[in-house]
Amino acid sequence: MEISDNLKTLARKSAGTGLLLIVVAAVTLEATSLIQYFSSQRMLKQEASLRAESELRSTRNQIMDIVDQAEAAVHNSIWITRWCLDYPDSLAVVARRIVEENPSVMGSTIALVPGYNKKLPLFAPYVCRTADGTTELKSLATEEYNYPAQEWFTEPLNYGFGYWSEPYIDEGGGEVLMTTYSVPVMDDAGRVAAVLTADVSLDWLTDLVGNVRVYPDAFSVLVSREGKIMVSPVEELNMHQSIQEFATGAKDTANFNVLADGMLSGKAGNVSLKQSRRERLFVFYAPVEKTGWSMAIAIPDSEIYGEIRRMSMLVTILMLVGLGMLILILRSAAKNQLKVSQLKEKKDRMENELRIGHNIQMSMIPKIFPPFPERKDIDMAATIVPAKEVGGDLYDFYIRDEKLFFCIGDVSGKGVPASLVMAVTRSLFRTVSAHEKSPQRIVTLINESMSDMNENEMFVTFFCGVLDMTTGHLRYCNAGHNPPMVFTDKIEFLPAIPNLPLGILPGMSFQEQEMDLSYDNALFLYTDGVTEAENLTHEQFGEARMQDVLRMRRSSQENLEAMQKAVADFVGAADPSDDLTMLFIHYLNDMQPDETERHLILHNDIQQIPQLAEFIETIADEIKLDQGLAMSLNLALEEAVTNVILYAYPEGSDGLVDVEAIMSKDKLKFIISDSGKEFDPTAAPEADITLGVEDRPIGGLGIYLVRKIMDSVSYERTDGKNILSMTKKL
Amino acid sequence: MEVIINKEDSVTTVRLVGRLDTPASQDVAQHFEPLMSDAAGTIVLDCSEMSYISSSGLRIFLSLRKAAASQGGKVIVKSISDDIRQVFMMTGFLNLFEIQ
Repeated sequence: MEISDNLKTLARKSAGTGLLLIVVAAVTLEATSLIQYFSSQRMLKQEASLRAESELRSTRNQIMDIVDQAEAAVHNSIWITRWCLDYPDSLAVVARRIVEENPSVMGSTIALVPGYNKKLPLFAPYVCRTADGTTELKSLATEEYNYPAQEWFTEPLNYGFGYWSEPYIDEGGGEVLMTTYSVPVMDDAGRVAAVLTADVSLDWLTDLVGNVRVYPDAFSVLVSREGKIMVSPVEELNMHQSIQEFATGAKDTANFNVLADGMLSGKAGNVSLKQSRRERLFVFYAPVEKTGWSMAIAIPDSEIYGEIRRMSMLVTILMLVGLGMLILILRSAAKNQLKVSQLKEKKDRMENELRIGHNIQMSMIPKIFPPFPERKDIDMAATIVPAKEVGGDLYDFYIRDEKLFFCIGDVSGKGVPASLVMAVTRSLFRTVSAHEKSPQRIVTLINESMSDMNENEMFVTFFCGVLDMTTGHLRYCNAGHNPPMVFTDKIEFLPAIPNLPLGILPGMSFQEQEMDLSYDNALFLYTDGVTEAENLTHEQFGEARMQDVLRMRRSSQENLEAMQKAVADFVGAADPSDDLTMLFIHYLNDMQPDETERHLILHNDIQQIPQLAEFIETIADEIKLDQGLAMSLNLALEEAVTNVILYAYPEGSDGLVDVEAIMSKDKLKFIISDSGKEFDPTAAPEADITLGVEDRPIGGLGIYLVRKIMDSVSYERTDGKNILSMTKKL
Repeated sequence: MEVIINKEDSVTTVRLVGRLDTPASQDVAQHFEPLMSDAAGTIVLDCSEMSYISSSGLRIFLSLRKAAASQGGKVIVKSISDDIRQVFMMTGFLNLFEIQ
């Protein structure tokens, strides 16, 4: 339940993370695209404005060329006109020359100011170009035309310099767009005498301005000084409507008025006109000097931004597709993550269970140090530093009947099987050693059990020892394990016959070895996790380094810590590849110097029993035992010796019973030995003292009393002798 | 060990003087044989002068107790020393005998 909740939370979490990621990605993409869009738009507008301005400039220049030509034609003729003022007939010749020499000039007149020539109140010869290319002379001095009232005549006289008239349609001359440039002409005396004009056809303007197309849908408009629309794409407007009139009926009148005002005031600028909800028209305008005209180029914003809008549409689509894909990827990633986390959880759970199992096994082995705080004769330290994976190292030890049983082992392989085999081995060690005192027997029996059930070809290297705490006598048996190190007056490997590891060969006979430890001698047992610890360069710690660490005489705990540190320093950042297991045994029994021994040798005659009483009395006197304890010891000794006298030797044969008492300040030990038949009194079943009179067996109390009275009792058969050791703590 | 048996009516008093060790038990067992075959009455084991008892001595006591039980008699253990009481305790004999 909890797990599935966890998974849901996890799924929610990863979905949440995914969503957040999508939002962030979308916002980032969108922002990028917006920034790009706006900066592109700005750049495009700038470009459009540059293009429009350059087009305006070039068109204006072309107009000015023609305007200048016309002006020049007129101005160049002023002197000759002035010269001819006194000969009015020759004025027509001047006008003709102007027309003939300037292709853009369609007609020219020199109109006398009324009253200047007394004989000719009105005089205005007009030369114009005909359709066939020749010239024709007309007179404008007619009643109905009344040239002194015409704009082209009055304006230059008002201003006193050259004047471009408002454009007009020349109805007489083929309905063409015309404008007239007129200048006042003074006589030599400085009086205003005449107005000289040149009619300039503006046909070319329509083509010139009409062809200004910076963008396919852009168009140009030319308006006159007074706002009359001279050239525009809409034919009906040309020369019929003014821009002011048009503005009133146009969309976005407000801005249109701004445009009209700007153009009429002879300034340059630009205006944006709203055409519809989505369409705007950008208008760039500039004046055409001298003529008072203003030219505008209008560009629909779709023209300017069309490309970028198409692009941004494409980008948006691509972005949406990308986002969609991102969502899909994230969803599948989230699913995978969920799967992975489920798997990981499973794996974690399994590993956790393994670890718990392993911890249970580890908790069975002695881990509290010093393990025997009340004992001064032994100093021990041990550790298993497990590698990442649960492993199969083990050590164990305990004291029974003044003997230290200890072992160390390393199960082949790692993981669950190894850890299970480790548990089995450890439990076999405890079971078997409860009844056996010989390491060889212990190893043999464990090997038999393990070989029988060993279907998985697992094996265990194992070293087992039994140290007699009173004598320092060590018996040991090796089953393929690294030989321990022994510290006597030097440090060396304990001579150990390798034999075979446990679990390989049923019926294998293991060899037992022995040595005597004295005060301050020590043993160091370890697994190959120590010697084969690898650093990052795959170099092994090795036996030499191990021996180096042990040079100094230290307590077991100090030795252990030094070795752990040395290995850790050596390994560095590398992963520990194997369990690191160490067991230090420091033998510190210094009773020998204080010991006193007493000996009593008896024959196998029950009548010799009273001698035991005397023997005990002597000892009791010597070490000042109280009477009650002395009696108890007497009883125990008598029971043990009686056993030997009655059962060890065949009836009627003579045999000896050796009773040895070893006294020290804190204990008293009896060793009873005989050469009779093998008999282990400690193997007898325990008497049940709760039974009633009828059920109570007569016998069986002897060894029971011995066990009750003494603190430890042990039996061994060595060299054809039964040896029963009994110790009483004092 | 000295064994003094004194029979008055149905009460037999047995004085055990000295150490009841294994060799002594063999003698005492012989002294006890007539008592075992006639254990219907009350047998008082006077241990006031008994300084020691081994498991073989306990065996004799138990044998007598069994015989008495089968014949409807009873065995009273009288005046045991503290040390011997300790042995009786260890072996559960305190529950098997009437101790005075």
